[in-house]
Amino acid sequence: MTKQLHLRRTQITGFVMEYLVFVTILVLVIVTAIVQPNFSTAQNFTNLMRQFGPLSFVALGMTFIIIGGFIDLSVPGIISLVAIITLSLVDTIGEVGAMLVGLALGAVMGCLNGVILVVSGASTQAKALFITFGMSQLYGAAALLYTSGTSMNRTFINHPMPVTSALGQGMVGFLSLSFVVFLCFLFVLYIFQSRTALGRSINYTGGNIVAAELSGIPTKRIMVLIYAICGFMAAVSAIVLFSRVTVTTPTVGANFERDAIMAVVVGGTSLLGGKGSVLRTMMGVSLVVLMSNCMNLLGVQTHLQEVLRGLILVTAIWLDHRRHR
Amino acid sequence: MNVAVHTQGNQIRKQVVQALSKQKAVVAIALMLIAMLFSDSNFYTQLNIMNIFRAASPNLIIAFGVTLAVICRGCDLSVGSVMSMSGIIAILLINNGMNMYMAMIVAALSGAVVGFINGFLVVHQKTEAFIITLGMGMLVKGIALQLTDANPVPTSRDKALAFMRISNGVFLGIPHIMWYMLILGAFTFWLLRFTSFGRNCYALGGDYEVAKYSGINVVRTKWIAFTLTGTYAAVAGVLLASRMNTGSAIYGDAIPLMVNCGVVIGGTSFAGGTGGVVHSFIGIMVMQLLRNCMNGFGIDPYIQQMVLGVVIVGIICMDCYAIKRKKEDV
Repeated sequence: MTKQLHLRRTQITGFVMEYLVFVTILVLVIVTAIVQPNFSTAQNFTNLMRQFGPLSFVALGMTFIIIGGFIDLSVPGIISLVAIITLSLVDTIGEVGAMLVGLALGAVMGCLNGVILVVSGASTQAKALFITFGMSQLYGAAALLYTSGTSMNRTFINHPMPVTSALGQGMVGFLSLSFVVFLCFLFVLYIFQSRTALGRSINYTGGNIVAAELSGIPTKRIMVLIYAICGFMAAVSAIVLFSRVTVTTPTVGANFERDAIMAVVVGGTSLLGGKGSVLRTMMGVSLVVLMSNCMNLLGVQTHLQEVLRGLILVTAIWLDHRRHR
Repeated sequence: MNVAVHTQGNQIRKQVVQALSKQKAVVAIALMLIAMLFSDSNFYTQLNIMNIFRAASPNLIIAFGVTLAVICRGCDLSVGSVMSMSGIIAILLINNGMNMYMAMIVAALSGAVVGFINGFLVVHQKTEAFIITLGMGMLVKGIALQLTDANPVPTSRDKALAFMRISNGVFLGIPHIMWYMLILGAFTFWLLRFTSFGRNCYALGGDYEVAKYSGINVVRTKWIAFTLTGTYAAVAGVLLASRMNTGSAIYGDAIPLMVNCGVVIGGTSFAGGTGGVVHSFIGIMVMQLLRNCMNGFGIDPYIQQMVLGVVIVGIICMDCYAIKRKKEDV
């Protein structure tokens, strides 16, 4: 009898642990909706979708890095540099051309990170952390040098920018365009991750890199690939980011790595590598976005929000390690 | 004959290269010192040299603590935020009328508490050190921001002079803050060299399982190491706050990765079990000299950031490469 009770209790804890994000989101939404009626308005819903914007794309890219068992702090540098260079190229090669150059640039910078890691033989998360931090300094400095520290104002660009405006303000039905783009990326990356051999070999690499290597998976190429994906997604988020604002500073990407890692880990992708999915990341992003929206609506002070965010990150990492060891 | 000479020459070259690559930090310092001979800045003045050491002192104190964590095959990325927070706590307590020395002790203890929690999460709960301390750093920075409402806080005017004297006073021609640094350095040196705790740190950093089975209380040792790391960072924060007479939540933003990199430059490897206080001292001095030299040559700050990035990537890559080669040799 007691054994049965014990079993049931572990089942319940297991269930709550597994769907912790769902439970948290549900509680958060219900509490905020009751306390603050402004929460459940159409206006706030649009707002929420817009806030999904840049962070969601970076988080999707970061998911692959973390599933592969690594980490990428170079995101702020890549976002800043891509945003600045894309904007500055619009006048010379047109809007779409500039965007393509920006996306390619992001992928190349990500590739460079991966190649440096492979060449130096850095096979742990800690080393990847320091190397990508150094690379972020490098990219960030390049962005600052390029504009000599000044901001880029979109109103000074003569070339018309229909795509950017659409991305920033456009709506498809009741969904914002950037959210639709996000759903497209989510779909493609989900198919890539769960239905292709290449996507699965990322999971194997993160699970046990030595075993993956021995069973014939080209782990080095996988490393370069995941960093390239992350760089590319960072570039996408850079474009979404500057489409929403008029003035873009050369340090526009600051803190994105932090929030992206948080979204991925909170979503339930394990930092130990090998487990996780882009769908989980979407839940994580939802929680991060909802949390800041709810805290703003409830009137929580900005700095207290910072403390709570840190607390949630630490708790999520801790629970993740407890669950998987 | 010819061949023999050739191989001998090769061997000597190999030895020289090996010695140089082992002492790359010292080589870097020597190169920078030589380069400064050719600049027309005031590098070789007593004032500047004192300044370099004074500016490096808080970083050095933090580095001594981080050395302990890195030797135990950990690392601590929350030190920057801990540093900011402890300075703020000291100043706020003093402003609220607490005895100055009492306030400083409480501030240092706040760092010990963060270090203790880090230790609990890393050692007891077996989380990955660098990511959990990154999260802790975020949390602690949030606390620092909350305490000050993101403004820098000075000490009230009647207490400022006494508080500033803690770091800025001069004893035997050397500023106090350097004395504290030297004392803490000597203490850490003694701790690592001449106590069983230090030896245990090296042992468990070298091989955790072996250390565990040979009867070392690995959990306690590593836990103490992390607590000490937090305490050192807090002490550095109090001293910095006294030097500037201000506490601010953004002092520590660039510190953690810089200090950890400095420690690795000195030769304390992330693989654990090697290195020491002297290594870290040299490593941090490389970073500090690099900055001072670039300022001396009047290099654009953005390019300085770029150079720093390249140096960090290069150094960590070299560390990784050395570990990889060592593994292949075995």
